Amino acid sequence: MAELHIIGQIIGATGFPQKSLFCKWGVHAGGAWRLLSGLKEGQTQVDIPQTGDMAYWSHPIDLHYTTKGLQGWPKLHLQVWHQDSFGRCQLYGYGYIHVPSSPGQHRLQCVTWRPLGSWQDQLAEMFVGGGPQLRSSDLIYSGADRYRLHTVGMGTVELELCVILRHFDRYGVES
Amino acid sequence: MADGWCTDTGESVYRSRDASAAYPFFHGVSDEFCFVIDVQYEVDLYQTESNCQTPLERQYHTEIMAMERSKRRQNQRIFTYTDFDRFSKWEEVTQSTPTFLAERMANVRHRRQERRPVESVVPKSRLITWEPSEEFIKNSHIINTPVQTMHIMGDLGPSGKLGLKENEYILCTIKADGNGVITIKPDFNNNRGAYRLETQGEKREVWRLYLENASSDIHAEEKEREQRMYRDLYTRHKDYLNSLVGQDFEMVRIIILIQTHFSAQGYEYDNLYVHFFLDLPNSNVPFHGLSGVTQTCRTSSVGKEDVAFFSYPFSFETFFHKEDESDGSLPQWPVLYFKVLSLDFWQRYRTEGYGFLVIPSTPGYHRMTCRTWRPLQSGTVAELRRFFIGGAPELEDISYVRVPGTFKGKRLSRFGFRTQTTGSVTFTLNCIQHARAFIDASTLKKRRQTVLDQLGGHSQQGSVYNVLEAFQRARNRMQEARETLPRDLINTSAQLNSESSA
Repeated sequence: MAELHIIGQIIGATGFPQKSLFCKWGVHAGGAWRLLSGLKEGQTQVDIPQTGDMAYWSHPIDLHYTTKGLQGWPKLHLQVWHQDSFGRCQLYGYGYIHVPSSPGQHRLQCVTWRPLGSWQDQLAEMFVGGGPQLRSSDLIYSGADRYRLHTVGMGTVELELCVILRHFDRYGVES
Repeated sequence: MADGWCTDTGESVYRSRDASAAYPFFHGVSDEFCFVIDVQYEVDLYQTESNCQTPLERQYHTEIMAMERSKRRQNQRIFTYTDFDRFSKWEEVTQSTPTFLAERMANVRHRRQERRPVESVVPKSRLITWEPSEEFIKNSHIINTPVQTMHIMGDLGPSGKLGLKENEYILCTIKADGNGVITIKPDFNNNRGAYRLETQGEKREVWRLYLENASSDIHAEEKEREQRMYRDLYTRHKDYLNSLVGQDFEMVRIIILIQTHFSAQGYEYDNLYVHFFLDLPNSNVPFHGLSGVTQTCRTSSVGKEDVAFFSYPFSFETFFHKEDESDGSLPQWPVLYFKVLSLDFWQRYRTEGYGFLVIPSTPGYHRMTCRTWRPLQSGTVAELRRFFIGGAPELEDISYVRVPGTFKGKRLSRFGFRTQTTGSVTFTLNCIQHARAFIDASTLKKRRQTVLDQLGGHSQQGSVYNVLEAFQRARNRMQEARETLPRDLINTSAQLNSESSA
């Protein structure tokens, strides 16, 4: 069996309309993969940048997977939320990114999108906040039935991941 | 009075391998440093057993008794105060007007902190303490690691009048924390000048202070034992991990795994979505079910452009079979065809562009931008229709974008086909190639062949390679044969050559 180490951090987010953001993240892999150590999901703190646009989380990711096959390479899915001064949380974007398959240090930008409702919903959203959310978050990374969705692109989440592969060459995998 | 006093009394930091620097550190001889901790005052105090309260003090007591019995010479002048002695607290608290921070730090330092667990177990409930107590605030306000302090004191009074508290001066302060970091203030002299110590009191004396590191190196066998222990620990942990991991792996012929997501920018209309197909060459069924449609995304401005982000997950695994290949052709990599469309509020949909992308043949991370075009019809009617009602001429066969599937001849001509350039789509791909041939190559240490060569066993590249191999073999045979020839034959031929050239 081959092993995969993912070591890195969720650096922060930029390009969102408001500033006070937090992120719920998770790593999802196929059936042939098994997590040996590390937390595969979590939630960052709420960060309000004083200067500049980027909200920094620096949330650590340290995972050790083992696998029997190549199907279901791990994917990282994110949900960026905004917490306003009243304590309400509003969804600001879903995003997902594949864990890179080549070893080394990668600086990744994960773009996010948010579902849009009808124009009445959008008007209400401007005043009251809220907005439609996905009923099941599997849709972020499954891709089926997506064409019914009407979305708008939101900001980007920056990540830095170092990928270490072990024993993959023993089984003839080149990456 | 000598010149060359060392005026640098800054502290210096050392790291000790003995990371389990717990309470027995200062007591007696440890791996790194040797200390002497007898003192007249302490001896008197601990001689009477009733004075001993903590286990440490009881240990002092037994040692002193042992010392008395063996009649060792007692060191009269140099002694130490450590964290665990009762006096050090008095010593430090009687500073004049400590600052607010110092006060807090002093109290915090003397408190024993429990070791925080370093595993990745995060408590799921009761993460927040809503009503912290004063003690909790004091503990958590300042980040500190538990530090043990030892002051080496010198009794600098006149001989005969030892044991007075006024004559005690701090010679050196040693702090050790749980991570094995040792701080010594002031540092060892190391051939710099001596430190200068002036006594107060009636007779002001000046003392010269030298600090030397008098510890002996660790014994070779102990060091060896320590190394062996570390090695055992690591191998055991490695075995444990290996047992978790296991030995099996799926074996396939050749597989290419692609994961990608993309974004589209520079298009005329908003609310874009992408419809894409993956075309496998040489396969009987076109568009082998590997297609997808993304969600409709409204563009947002990034910089000067309007970009639509589709975080659309598609990962494809395709299998290559050598038998499927016809002779004399290079292997073909899969091609991703896509078309970008827009769907607006009134449900009008228009084609925005067509494009294609050849999956890269090298594994790794790739980021590529494909520009797209859309077909134009001559005349204004079509454009007016596109603007008002929506709908535009579309390609019937999307493989026309690259090489039409029905194309059989030698030269492709697209003369007469009018298009207009539209925006571009950026793909980021992660490609992995998995082949049994790679294993053989690496185990035999024969990395001359890439997968391209492996696939082209019957094709031109393969034949070129075969020719090279044959040449190499023939050359080797020739060289071997040459060696077995008698020496004089080779020499005469060399002479002939030189004569002819001369």
